[in-house]
Amino acid sequence: MPDAALLLQIAFGGLSMGAVYALLAVSLVMVYKVSRIVCFAQGEFFVIGGLTLSALTNEAAMPLWAAFLATLALAGVLGVFAERIVIRPVRHEGVGTVIVMTIALSISLQGIALPVWGREAHVVAPFVATPPWEFFGAFLSAQVLLVIGASVVVFVLLRTFFERTTLGLAMRAAAETPTGARLVGISVTRLTQFGWASGVALGALAGMLIAPVVFLTYASGTMPMVKAFVAMVVGGLSSTAGALAGGFLVGLLEACAIGFVSSEFADAIVFLFLIGFLLVRPGGLFGNDAGGGM
Amino acid sequence: MRIRFVLALLLCLGFFAAPHTARAADPYRIGAVFPLSGSLAWLGEYYQKAAQLQVDLINGQGGVDGRPLELVVYDDQSSPEAAARAAQRLISRDRVIALIGTASVPLSGALATVAREQKVPTIVASGYTVNPARDPFVFNTAHKTDYAVERPFAYFSQKGLKRVAMLMPIGPLGDVGIASAEKAAAKHGIELVGTERFNPQSPDLTTQLAQLRAKKPDALFSFVTGEAAAMVARNMKQIRFDVPLLVSHGNATPGFLKMISSLDADILVPSGRLGAPDALDGSEPNARMIAEFNRRHVERYKEPANYFSGLAADAVLLVAEGLRRSKTDEGEKLRAAIEGIHEFPGYSGVFRLSATDHHGTSADDLVLLRPTSSGWALVK
Repeated sequence: MPDAALLLQIAFGGLSMGAVYALLAVSLVMVYKVSRIVCFAQGEFFVIGGLTLSALTNEAAMPLWAAFLATLALAGVLGVFAERIVIRPVRHEGVGTVIVMTIALSISLQGIALPVWGREAHVVAPFVATPPWEFFGAFLSAQVLLVIGASVVVFVLLRTFFERTTLGLAMRAAAETPTGARLVGISVTRLTQFGWASGVALGALAGMLIAPVVFLTYASGTMPMVKAFVAMVVGGLSSTAGALAGGFLVGLLEACAIGFVSSEFADAIVFLFLIGFLLVRPGGLFGNDAGGGM
Repeated sequence: MRIRFVLALLLCLGFFAAPHTARAADPYRIGAVFPLSGSLAWLGEYYQKAAQLQVDLINGQGGVDGRPLELVVYDDQSSPEAAARAAQRLISRDRVIALIGTASVPLSGALATVAREQKVPTIVASGYTVNPARDPFVFNTAHKTDYAVERPFAYFSQKGLKRVAMLMPIGPLGDVGIASAEKAAAKHGIELVGTERFNPQSPDLTTQLAQLRAKKPDALFSFVTGEAAAMVARNMKQIRFDVPLLVSHGNATPGFLKMISSLDADILVPSGRLGAPDALDGSEPNARMIAEFNRRHVERYKEPANYFSGLAADAVLLVAEGLRRSKTDEGEKLRAAIEGIHEFPGYSGVFRLSATDHHGTSADDLVLLRPTSSGWALVK
């Protein structure tokens, strides 16, 4: 039987991985909520966010807050362009075509990121220079706590936005029944563009917050994107709360698989769990918007 | 009539002589397969820069018997399938006489398969262990993994660090690391107290590290390179797992140094002597050539050469030396000539190739380095 410190460290390891998956999954949900598609380029927006922050803080010597805001703004603009140039021209061609376009966008962005940031990993200093916190012999880094906190704040803000504000409700209406939304005077095109800008900015936010925890390269987006997608599906595709819970669930499951079964089979166990989960609960943890999920 | 006969004779002579003259100045084309994109892209860049520099240095000295070398480079995208495709294309379309590259065991395995089928001399630079009976056309400039593990394990034994835990990447590289560690541990009286595996793309390794820490080892061995190795070091610091960390011999690079410079971690990196040119005392047989290559590398690329640079440059050196000895680019003869290279100083050590050893270097060609705030320091 493992001792308490080891059990706690397994839980912290799961929370650390879960925080990465959860934040990225929430950004995937944001795009899904406004356009009803899964954006497979979200892993690249995550990487671009982290690498831009690294360039602005390390090379341009910008203060962290300024680099943070500049990266968010840049990602928003990137989202607007992605929607206008890549998604909008094919939005009536069926879900398959749009998903293929997001995959093409993902590969293109990797191709662009390679000459811009080079092949080596980039380092971002932790936002708070506090040593890891110790709880009964187990350790959790302050940056991971920051990521967990940020995930919860983002969730609360998104929930309030989509449930309580006119703009949020209009965005949901535009995604669910575009024709009906147009009939009541909602500009679906503008709202979709705004949704993409916010979704890409959220992906970049995830990248910025996670950059100090990992070593980011131009190709680092693939694996977190796959796990975040699993989290999103477990959560119910369009549920922000589901994505958050799904992310932490996937992270904790992975850590438990490593701690109690075998680190070699951790990925296989996560995906077997996904298959089993979807067979039992195809609608995900919290259902979707149609079922009242958030 | 007589004039016509002489003209016809001259034309005939010209017909046969002209291509011969042109061929004498034709370059020897060497195909290079490097991981220039994908997960190993950071490594491919070092290879490409060094191989091109070495080709230019040889051409600057008149080439090989008056014929210049030409490097034709393809990207294997860090994928074995793409590596095999690139190698086939270099042989069939670009008509190269030899192949050099690439990194990692699976990528080199793909190249070795093509070399075996096409009978083209191929010099890889990775942890791939060449069995000359199975792969007579394949050579490897990287030190055998066994040596890269044995050298630091000898150091552990000497320092009384007798209990070693292992954190290995999932896949063939980790398998190779474990096999080598078992041999070295038996040789140096070291106990392997536990093994965990990990996905090199995982954002957190503290679970595996906590399990290994519970075994109370004196040192940790993780046979990985690049950001995965840096992740191990960072997560060790995070959970205060304060024992020396031994990583793969592929980490003696400026990129790795940059990644771990802020960690203040006790890391050991086996390396060829090119990894620390400033630490050479001048008595080594390759000291002068290492210093000169490093100078040229800094001059051209504004960065020092490193362990990987040496491996790629050595591959070019061995092909050139094989061509000098064989006087032909015919596959079997060139292969035999490379196999016959002995007591030949390269950047990674002194090559002593033979029919039973297609690596040619020894454990003595390796040094142990430790990262410091001012660069790499030699571990005595």
